[in-house]
Amino acid sequence: MPRNLQLKDLTKVFGTLVAVDRVNLEVQEGEFVCFLGPSGCGKTTILRMITGFETPTQGDIAYDGRVINDLVPQKREFGIVFQSYALFPNMTVSENIAFGLKMRRMPREKIRNRVDEILDLIGLRDWRNNYPAQLSGGQQQRVALGRALAPNPTVLLLDEPLSALDAKIRVRLRAVIKRLQQELGITMVYVTHDQEEALAIADRVVVMQEGIFKQVGTPIQIYKNPQSDFVADFVGISNFFEGERQDGTVQVKGIRFVAPDAEGLPSNKVILSIRPEKIEIINPERPPRDLEPSNIVKGTIEVITFLGAVVRILVIAANRDVIVDMVEKEFEERQLNRGDEVEMYFPPEAFLVYQQD
Amino acid sequence: MDRSSNETYSVSATSLLVDKHILTGVTILIAFLLVFFMLFPIYKILVMSFFREGIFGLENFTLANYIKYFGTPRIFRSLTNSFVVSVMTMIITTVLAFFFAYALTRTTIRGKGFFNTVAFMPLIAPSIIQALALILLFGRNGLITAHLLKVDWSIYGAWGIIISEVLYCFPHALVILYTTLSAVDTRLDEAAESLGANALQVFWKVTVPSAKYGLLSAAALTFNLTITDFGNPVVIGGDFNVLATEIYAQVTNLYRFDLGATVSVILLVPSVAAFMFNYYVTRKSFALISGAARPFIRSSRPLRKWGFTLYCSLVSASIIMVFATVVMGSFVNVWPYDWSLTLKHYRFPSLGGYSAIWTSFWISLFVGFFGALFTLIAGYIVEKKKPFGVQLLYLLSVMPAAIPGLVLGLGYILAFNRPYYIFYGTPWIIIICVVIANFTLGTLSSISNIKNIDPSIEEAATSLGSTSISTFVRLIFPLSRVAFFQNFVYFFMRSMTTISAVIFLVSATVHLAAIEIIWLDNDGWTASADAMATCVIAIVLVMLGLLRIVMGKKGGPVMGGGAA
Repeated sequence: MPRNLQLKDLTKVFGTLVAVDRVNLEVQEGEFVCFLGPSGCGKTTILRMITGFETPTQGDIAYDGRVINDLVPQKREFGIVFQSYALFPNMTVSENIAFGLKMRRMPREKIRNRVDEILDLIGLRDWRNNYPAQLSGGQQQRVALGRALAPNPTVLLLDEPLSALDAKIRVRLRAVIKRLQQELGITMVYVTHDQEEALAIADRVVVMQEGIFKQVGTPIQIYKNPQSDFVADFVGISNFFEGERQDGTVQVKGIRFVAPDAEGLPSNKVILSIRPEKIEIINPERPPRDLEPSNIVKGTIEVITFLGAVVRILVIAANRDVIVDMVEKEFEERQLNRGDEVEMYFPPEAFLVYQQD
Repeated sequence: MDRSSNETYSVSATSLLVDKHILTGVTILIAFLLVFFMLFPIYKILVMSFFREGIFGLENFTLANYIKYFGTPRIFRSLTNSFVVSVMTMIITTVLAFFFAYALTRTTIRGKGFFNTVAFMPLIAPSIIQALALILLFGRNGLITAHLLKVDWSIYGAWGIIISEVLYCFPHALVILYTTLSAVDTRLDEAAESLGANALQVFWKVTVPSAKYGLLSAAALTFNLTITDFGNPVVIGGDFNVLATEIYAQVTNLYRFDLGATVSVILLVPSVAAFMFNYYVTRKSFALISGAARPFIRSSRPLRKWGFTLYCSLVSASIIMVFATVVMGSFVNVWPYDWSLTLKHYRFPSLGGYSAIWTSFWISLFVGFFGALFTLIAGYIVEKKKPFGVQLLYLLSVMPAAIPGLVLGLGYILAFNRPYYIFYGTPWIIIICVVIANFTLGTLSSISNIKNIDPSIEEAATSLGSTSISTFVRLIFPLSRVAFFQNFVYFFMRSMTTISAVIFLVSATVHLAAIEIIWLDNDGWTASADAMATCVIAIVLVMLGLLRIVMGKKGGPVMGGGAA
């Protein structure tokens, strides 16, 4: 019987502010779920309700089929990793890790073994007698991770654990967390505002805005098929075109796009979105065949930015900015320059159609 | 990783059950102690002043005591006298301290560390040594008046009190003004200058207005300290009676507890008002403090530098003179006739003598420990935990600063002089009274210390299974160690030097050093009074030295006190 974590109509109100508004989710045992959203969207509040530091205004939190709303944090046996590490400055690395075990009155001998295990797991055996202030930020967060894992929690909750670290260490530690989660088979609930991090690490991503779940899905679903312009904008980069639907095409100022027929939208006012890597800059020497002629748009290259494996090109077309991503290798072959006149192709099937608010 | 192996260990259910109620319990306990040992005595004073025989009841209500008070010119004069003295002290101290703070923060004079240290010296001595020193110098048999100038004038009376109080209140006002002037951006001054204002205009139009809340706060505190002080006026006041000495005279000489209580109520009014005014102003002043980094101060012009150096030297010399005179007075044979050195004044002729010093010392250790502990717990509850009634606890914790020590002490007699209060007449009532009387500053400093602890640390401990008690013992206390020691020394120092809060509580069996100073002086053993004061100062200095050693280089100045 898998032990799942359930949020049922979970609501939190602070005064007049509805921080979390009737959200529902079931986190499977061993699953890695990531809450993603801008600051103030309610993701940390959900985490704090799961930990027990906040009480739900309405709705339930259930674990293993049991409602735990009124259970004190100590009894929930969930591990927590904080953004500020929150290591105990008056204790060594070993003592920090042993803290939760001491609280459970584990025998001394067993504590020592468990601390050794954890030190190996986080790779800080040589630092066991150091105080937190003597460690780097990345090492401190590894200690925090080890400390939370030591009592063998059933669920590990992480509140923006990497956002205080610099980019390189962030990526490395992200891999450490993912590896630990897979090795230990532990359920993880992870909160972040960094979409790249969320997509890279999670089994399932929950995109939040103003206290509600905008979309729940695998990273690929979220990226490839965002169900609203908010998600499309927040996750990755997208080009947006506001326009009006007219018999199978969408009339955008100066351009008429052929786009998929989005059925069920109540009005004709729509937004088209397309990822930069889906737009093609047509190579005049090898023009592809079977193009939808109305989706070819002329423009001028304004800015070229190297992003490593990808080159990001800003094209001005019909007085609007269009971002196009091109693989670096192709870019080199084509020898494009600022000021070049180009033709872009917007494949109709690459468009996502949303209702205008 | 074997998951099942650890499952037998979990947080004990009993300790969590206890944990559920412990905070509420401790909150109620501290609130109860504050109510019982602070509000209850004050209530007794009110009853004593408004009801016949001090028995509460509609048929006993009377204004006779107040009619008597306002109808007897000699007693009534204590009110006007108190106001005259307090207002004068307030003005003089605030102005003197302002220029001193200005010199320390806005000029490049040398010896700032020295001036700073000297300015805080008055905090380590009972508020009686100023008067003792002034009498040795300017009294009927004073070194300067009678022997150098050969004039018939002596300092007893209003001016004696005012000068003593200025010398006593100076560091309290300085703390506030120093903080204010350090916090205000000096670039304001420079901006004004660049717009063409001359130095005097900058001073009056920019510097003074930007420090206005600090000035008001320092003034209110000085007023409060002066109007509630007992030690200096009782020694140097002579026939010039103030409210505090009048309370003492009514109770001790005339056994008129009802009139003593009435004067206490009359003293409570201005002192509570000054406290509330100060509280209000302090809240406002935080808004003015800018977090902007201040550029270094430009080198002052020579004239300005010399002027301020001279000024600071004069003020420092006056403070040093107080201490030097008292210490010297205790060692010379017959002041000011026979300057040969002797230790005979240290053979105390009174009942207390060295046992009083010993009692003071160990009572102060208890006061230091319990004061630091209780204020740490109160600060922790107020700042970190927000259980039911925490606002009430905060209010109760800051209230003691508004109550004059003498009034609290009198309240203790009225409230606890019953056979079933077994602590009455023992050193414990003194310990309780001193802890309560200084509770405010201790709590405020605990709160500001606990604010610096990352809230996530506590949540981390909780999520790992720690109860409130174990979080407090294993984390909050170790992380507040420095603040705890500072509070310990603060309470210790207050207990060694306080006079007004305990003068009604000493008995035939319990003597205290600070009170002995008054008895000795009263009985004409002036030199022995000086010797006793010297002993108190020496003990406090040793304690401060120990604090320095214990805390190493980290230790900030413990003298931050006074800004209640």
